Amino acid sequence: MIQLKEIDKYIESRFQRVFILKGINLTINEGEFITLMGPSGAGKSTLLNILGLLDEDYAGEYFFGDRSIKSMREKERSNLHKSEFGYIFQAYHLIDELTVYENIETPLLYRNVSSNERKSIIANLLDRFNMVAKKDLFPAQLSGGQQQLVGIARAIAGRPRVLLADEPTGNLHSAQAREIMEIFQELHKEGTTIIQATHARENADFGTRLINLVDGRIETDEVISK
Amino acid sequence: MWKNYLKVSFRNLQKRKLYTGINLLGLTIAVVSFLAISLYIHHEWSYDKMYADYDRIYRLNQEFRSDGQAQLVSSTPSSLIPTLIDEVPEVETGTLIFDISIFSTVMVDAGDGNQEEKAFAYVDENFFNVFDFELISGNANQVLAEPNQMVLTKSTAERYFGNAIAAVNKAIKIDGKDYQITGVMEDFPSNSHINFDFLASFKTHRHGKNPEWSPSNYYTYVKLKPEADPTVFEGKLGQLVDKYLGKELAEYGYQTDFFLQPVTQIHLGDQTLGAIKPGTDIRYLYIFGVVALLLIAIGIINYVNLATAEATERNKEVGLRKAMGAGRGQLFGQFVSESMLLTFASTALSVLVLYLIAPRFSSISGVPLRLELIISPIGLTMITVFILTMGVLAGLYPSLILSGMEPIKALANKTKIGGGAWVRKSLVVFQFFVSIGLLIATFVVKSQLTYMQEVNLGYEKEHLVSLSYHYSMRDGVETIKNEMLRTGAATSISRASDMPIHVKAGYKVFPGGDNQREFMITGYAVDPDILKTINLELMAGNNFSLTDIKRSDLEDGTERFPVLLNETAVNEMGWTAEEAIGKTINLGFSSNSEVKGVVKDFYFNSLHHQVSPMVIFNDPDETNVLLVKLPAGNPSDHLATLEGVWKKLVPERPFNPVFVDQAYARMYQSEQQAGVIFGLFSGIAIFIACMGLFGLVSYVALRRTREISIRKVLGATQQNVIQVLASDFLKLLSVSAVLAIAFGIWFSITWLQDFTYKTSITVWPFLISISLVFLLAILTIAYRSWKVYTLNPAKTLKTD
Repeated sequence: MIQLKEIDKYIESRFQRVFILKGINLTINEGEFITLMGPSGAGKSTLLNILGLLDEDYAGEYFFGDRSIKSMREKERSNLHKSEFGYIFQAYHLIDELTVYENIETPLLYRNVSSNERKSIIANLLDRFNMVAKKDLFPAQLSGGQQQLVGIARAIAGRPRVLLADEPTGNLHSAQAREIMEIFQELHKEGTTIIQATHARENADFGTRLINLVDGRIETDEVISK
Repeated sequence: MWKNYLKVSFRNLQKRKLYTGINLLGLTIAVVSFLAISLYIHHEWSYDKMYADYDRIYRLNQEFRSDGQAQLVSSTPSSLIPTLIDEVPEVETGTLIFDISIFSTVMVDAGDGNQEEKAFAYVDENFFNVFDFELISGNANQVLAEPNQMVLTKSTAERYFGNAIAAVNKAIKIDGKDYQITGVMEDFPSNSHINFDFLASFKTHRHGKNPEWSPSNYYTYVKLKPEADPTVFEGKLGQLVDKYLGKELAEYGYQTDFFLQPVTQIHLGDQTLGAIKPGTDIRYLYIFGVVALLLIAIGIINYVNLATAEATERNKEVGLRKAMGAGRGQLFGQFVSESMLLTFASTALSVLVLYLIAPRFSSISGVPLRLELIISPIGLTMITVFILTMGVLAGLYPSLILSGMEPIKALANKTKIGGGAWVRKSLVVFQFFVSIGLLIATFVVKSQLTYMQEVNLGYEKEHLVSLSYHYSMRDGVETIKNEMLRTGAATSISRASDMPIHVKAGYKVFPGGDNQREFMITGYAVDPDILKTINLELMAGNNFSLTDIKRSDLEDGTERFPVLLNETAVNEMGWTAEEAIGKTINLGFSSNSEVKGVVKDFYFNSLHHQVSPMVIFNDPDETNVLLVKLPAGNPSDHLATLEGVWKKLVPERPFNPVFVDQAYARMYQSEQQAGVIFGLFSGIAIFIACMGLFGLVSYVALRRTREISIRKVLGATQQNVIQVLASDFLKLLSVSAVLAIAFGIWFSITWLQDFTYKTSITVWPFLISISLVFLLAILTIAYRSWKVYTLNPAKTLKTD
């Protein structure tokens, strides 16, 4: 589904180029659950951003399906971004001024989903994550784990085929982290392609493939066998 | 979608109270001023457009010319309108108004004693056919068709008879003459140039029965036929002049022409001498309009500045929304809806405030605030357009900045809003340029007003009271004068045709006697006490003596009539003051006049005009006022004494003292109004701009809290901190000041051009304005810096 060829990402500083990613070649098939690991600064987040079309400032080729991203027009890229990707952040990044319900609703609004359809999608999600009673609360009134549940609900509300998660459990304690990972596993079983970046080795065990990044390069790429 | 936008905007505004407060207050004040000015301009613009055929109604003005001098007056002879109706086919109908308040007041008796009234006019039977004012009672064709008929306005009828209907068919006495009230009309609208309380049928008046071609004391209006061409009509007026006035004019060496003035241009158009209501200088309307727009601009700029400064705070939200798939247009809608909400709220608030201040505004401006205009369909449409425009203007730039951020950088809070900084800086410069500029304009206007108050007019207007008296009292005036002098409550009294502030009567010097030149001259009819009473300075010759002949006693044409001339008149004849004494001149009187004395020039007209030639002559019988010089001490005590004398001698006539210096100040009402309005609006502009500055400094302070805390730890004093924060802004203000000085110089030169006698342009208005605004700005910044300075560095530094 996704193919990266010779992806370089660097910052021009005064004396030299500092590479964040160098020579990344990666093929991701539909239905994989990939874990990106590696020390801080290894380029995990950068790779996720490039995969999610949030960062377009890189060298190399990126194919989604059989189309090159670089050959797409702005409008097509934006549509692809909207229809195929969902994001989950370490710091949850919920909008403070919106309630749980409205936070989940936001991506649907941007996709021009009709009001009735929105209601039923959100109702399903709230039900699934046991948050019906909390739908009118604001993020500040929720615990970290609950906020991340809202973050996931929001990310999958638009039914993306690819879910990108940047340290989704980084701010959570282990019981909450486990809960999140189980949800990922469930989504994976339903057919969603998941790519997560994490520091925690135990999270990788929920996935199907583990990629180790060091200094912007892929060091190892192994299949997780259960 | 819009529901969501509005909800989010509302919560955002609610959350940031300082930001919302500054914007709301600033915009509301700006919008209140804008709406009030708009309503005022609308009122002035709507003058005389309520008549059904207003586009066919014209007033006839008359121009007198003699030797290159011209005078445009709005009064015409009483024969004009009947002649026009009879002889000129273009005329559908026409009417005539004789406003007697220019001569005297009337005494009204509706059965319970005399009351003095001013707003009294004779109008002919066609009045209501030309001006379709609404009659509550009576038939438009009949109410003024016969002698001794009268129409009252509703409020006058209520004043005298309790209600409008009760007045109908009642009898009323005006100056002892009986009238029957045949109709009651609605009060004249405030935007009509016609405004009276009493309309009497012109047939009651001597000239109504036998119209004449002289004098020119009547306002003439024509309604032309729909197909008539006004230019063709105007052309025919020349033939009329030749036919009826040719002989008389030739005799006196005058030429005259009649001109049409559309009724809708009477209020704002060229001002003629003598009018029922004073007009408005259209240039002031333009100036006020520009000021209104500037205030709105300052309010909007506050929003733009604060919103862009705040953009850093909203990086995260923007990045997030982009990551969730928000397109630029959608983000744009989000932020514009925020500004819309704010402008809508402030406009709604402004309408509320307007309702509260409407009575006060009306009493200051003399114009009723017609708030019902706002809620009319047109008003609402315009308000909606206004809100949308303002919302888009305010939201456009911040939205562009915010929606244009790159999501990754925005999420990581790496975006610097350095790109927008120069825009923000120029906007601040503009705000303070307007503030300082308006303040300079205020001071320039004020200094001219002060100059006009303090300039040596050549006579003394202080402690001088004018008492106008009715011609029926003519024989008793000398007794009143002597009795008043005897009480000691007056040091000197003179009879005069006018107050010295504005002497109007036009005369002419003809070649004859020792003078061969011909020119227009203003005539001032007085008695010999005038020099002492208003303290005129005699340059040569002597004052009148009590034995000098009066103009009314001139008989056989052989005696010489002594007159005083002013310096300008003497110069006009080519003499020095000393040479002039004893010379004879021809003023068109039955006898030649002899120059008995020459007085130093004094300003007997508005300071807009140059002092012109004047002749002062002994003619007590043609006077209308008693000029009374009060002794030192409390004026009201003296006036009480004088009133006692008056009440004893002429109990039936009202005692209405007018202080000459106050009447003088009233001559410059439009200038004074401009001064007040400039002052008010520069205050408002400064207030809004300083609020915006406060908001901006707050954001800068917030961004630099850490830096300031570090400085504090390193031993910076409060003053150092203020300097850090203030220096950037003061640089901007300096640019504003330079621009404002340029504007101020231009304004002073342009505005003062209108005055023949004017104050000199000094450095003070500039210095005071700039220092004032700088002081306020520094205080604003200092207050904000003090709050940052007092923060505990241990707390602010810990977070990093």
